[in-house]
Amino acid sequence: MGFYVLSYLCIMVFIGATGYLIYRQINLPLHVRWEIYPVQHEITARTAYGGSYMEKVNWWNDKYENSRINELKYMVPEILFLRGLWKENRSLWWFSFPLHFGLYLMIATFALLLLHACFTLGGFSVGVVSFLLSGLIVAAGWSGLILGSIGSLGMFYRRLTDRSLKDYSSFSDYFNIIFIGLFFISALATCLSGDSFLEGAKAYTFGLLTAGSSRNLYVPGQNVAGFLTIVSASLLVAYIPLTHMSHMFMKYFLYHNVKWDDVPNRRGGQMEAAIKNNLELKPTWQAKHINADGHKSWRDIASSAPKEMK
Amino acid sequence: MNIRLKPSDIAKASDCLCHIDPGELSLLPPPYEDFNQRALTPLKPEKINNIEASLDDTVAIGIPKPATKQEEEALVRQFLSGLKKLFEKENNWTFLQPLMLSMEHCAKCQTCSSACPVFEMSGGKDIYRPIFRAEVLRRIYRKYLKPGGKITAKLNGDIDLNWTTIARLAELSYRCTLCRRCATVCPIGVDNGLINHEIRKLFSQEMGIAPKEIHDKGSVQHLRVGSSTGMTPPAAKDSVEFIQEEMEEITGYKVSIPWDVEGADILLLHNAGEMLAWPENVGAFAIIFQAAGISWTMSSEAAGYDAVNYGLWYDDVQFSRVAVKHADIARKLKVKKIVIGECGHAHKALTVIADRLLTGDLNIPRESAMVTLEDIVMSGRLKFDPLKNNFPVTLHDPCNVVRAMGIVEPQRRILRKIAPQFREMTPHGVDNYCCGGGSGFAIMSGYNFAEWRNLVSSRKKFLQILKAFEGEPPDVPKYVCAPCSNCKGAIRDILHYYHAEERSGLHYGGLVELVVNALAGMKKPIIRFGEKPSWEAK
Ligand code: SF4
Ligand code: SF4
Repeated sequence: MGFYVLSYLCIMVFIGATGYLIYRQINLPLHVRWEIYPVQHEITARTAYGGSYMEKVNWWNDKYENSRINELKYMVPEILFLRGLWKENRSLWWFSFPLHFGLYLMIATFALLLLHACFTLGGFSVGVVSFLLSGLIVAAGWSGLILGSIGSLGMFYRRLTDRSLKDYSSFSDYFNIIFIGLFFISALATCLSGDSFLEGAKAYTFGLLTAGSSRNLYVPGQNVAGFLTIVSASLLVAYIPLTHMSHMFMKYFLYHNVKWDDVPNRRGGQMEAAIKNNLELKPTWQAKHINADGHKSWRDIASSAPKEMK
Repeated sequence: MNIRLKPSDIAKASDCLCHIDPGELSLLPPPYEDFNQRALTPLKPEKINNIEASLDDTVAIGIPKPATKQEEEALVRQFLSGLKKLFEKENNWTFLQPLMLSMEHCAKCQTCSSACPVFEMSGGKDIYRPIFRAEVLRRIYRKYLKPGGKITAKLNGDIDLNWTTIARLAELSYRCTLCRRCATVCPIGVDNGLINHEIRKLFSQEMGIAPKEIHDKGSVQHLRVGSSTGMTPPAAKDSVEFIQEEMEEITGYKVSIPWDVEGADILLLHNAGEMLAWPENVGAFAIIFQAAGISWTMSSEAAGYDAVNYGLWYDDVQFSRVAVKHADIARKLKVKKIVIGECGHAHKALTVIADRLLTGDLNIPRESAMVTLEDIVMSGRLKFDPLKNNFPVTLHDPCNVVRAMGIVEPQRRILRKIAPQFREMTPHGVDNYCCGGGSGFAIMSGYNFAEWRNLVSSRKKFLQILKAFEGEPPDVPKYVCAPCSNCKGAIRDILHYYHAEERSGLHYGGLVELVVNALAGMKKPIIRFGEKPSWEAK
């Protein structure tokens, strides 16, 4: 039961930490525009070369348009295949891609395992769907584990041997990659040591849904590899949002709220109201020319002259 | 010698953290091999005795050395207090979210390094890696401002914080042109250019440290007398009068530049440096607007005849003051829109960055001159004879117009129409390389900084220009079209430094000059290769 408690706790940490990260982003004040082109949600004709709506005469008379389709066309290969890295840093891609894709396949495997467990709970543990699901679990699981193991070992090797990566790698960077590698390799070892069809994973996931109350549940720790898999997978789930590895999902904000945030401010709009709020904030910068005293607002300061001039 | 340097090395005491030795920079092709062994002129000891100059072989700011240990410690405390403010919404609502995201999510993959022209051209000096300064800031922030930082530093990357670290970091923030090429290639979306921008802000807004060319003689002078060039309103009017006369003399076209016309359709904002260094640019705009029958005006109010906004590079408060001033002048003139002339950073400053600062009647529509010009050129209102521009032309993409605003095609469509020998640089458009003069570098020339710019930060642009004209005979005059005052300044300096006019027949200028040069019916050409302009000859 201790394993299940650990997994529940780790999932709770994941939800809490991810929720906090997202909550914090949503509650930050509106910032000034700092987009960088190409902005991929532009209309097709302009995304081809990185153009913007500001290329049009009197652009402010037109409706602001953005294309979700174009954004997806860019984002899907970027997320799944790390297209940017392929283009800009090919030698790293050969390891980074299998690592990332391996992790995605693990997420997919877990989703399939959950579905399978739901079917089992619903009494559909036999039949075509269940058979198909089991096939998908095996395919996603095995390919994810192989790719992830190659990727994590490769990334570890690159960090150790490439001077420019090594000079910037701290203990935690090595730890992170070893941690991920430990999960992949122990899970792979579990499968290789007599569980080719991921029956242990199925049973454990089922156990997760039933809080350990079912007779079907997997009793973990049957071998060292199985034990390591459950512990490392659980801890990894909790650990990722606490580190820079949260970039896997925080990338959304980096792209949408900064790189591609080209929404213009229109008179009388919601954005203008947010700007007006910002202008009432009271800075305390100390340099003489700023002339801030903690009482004057940004509005007061922006409409005054610097102190040196008085 | 290329010594390996890690971020933590910035704190180590030495006279110079990183030398640039002869032969280390990227190689230049013939006939410029004689520059391959060129190194920076050594800084004169008597000139740098009292200033901080221990980063590399040049100095951009010239921070006075603290007299005592106590003074050093006070400065370190001030730095930390400023760093804390960068993460507070009261002090940094302007960039808080972008900064936090970039600080927290770097995977240290080094993809950005190969995109950076300064790093590449320096021969791969570690201190010029885009991530170097970002990682220094990240480590200081985590260690000294995060709870438990002293312990986690052992795990996440350690750094010592002393005056040397800070003085070098300040200087280092002026070895990046803020071109943001690194940000476009980062697979995660981290922006090291932005982190550099924030470092500059911390120094300026909390410690009052900034290069004098962009602060004292720049934004402060702009707000005090009306222009960062020092030009007062009467002087600006005199300059424009002179330009009108010159234009008639050069081109035979009588032009009249309107001042302070209330209710005009367009308020045209020029970088005032154009009036002094490239008056033909101001004149050419006037010819085009007049010939096309545009309703337009310039403003003679202080700051209204100078579009620059140096705050964009180093100080949000100075930035806001200038932006508000520009918008207010347009508001009082009741113009329909502001058109920003050939000045890249003014484009981004007023159109994009100030967009979330200006509210109500200060939020006046703003448009790039590239767009306005395209509209005029394509409208058929003017007749062109492109053969008047029958010489090789290439186009430089100012980072602030292209990568930061996505204004890519209008200027190209114009060139395709009026310059039959137009060819692109490689790469171009949003993938372009900075001229090397971005973020204030073009106007910074204290100590030997201009030489560093020509040798290092502008080197990539020079190589690109040479490549664009590869195969053309050296004696054929060639035109580098740079529709931005700062870029033009940097390119002027490169061509001069490398004797490129003599060796490769390279010339430079803006876009409007090419437009006017191609106008059918003009009595005389505005572009005359090899001739000194009348205002320089006099
Ligand atoms: S900024 Fe981006 S490209 Fe550069 S090291 Fe960090 S993650 Fe990699
Ligand atoms: S902004 Fe440009 S100059 Fe600065 S680090 Fe990035 S690529 Fe290099």
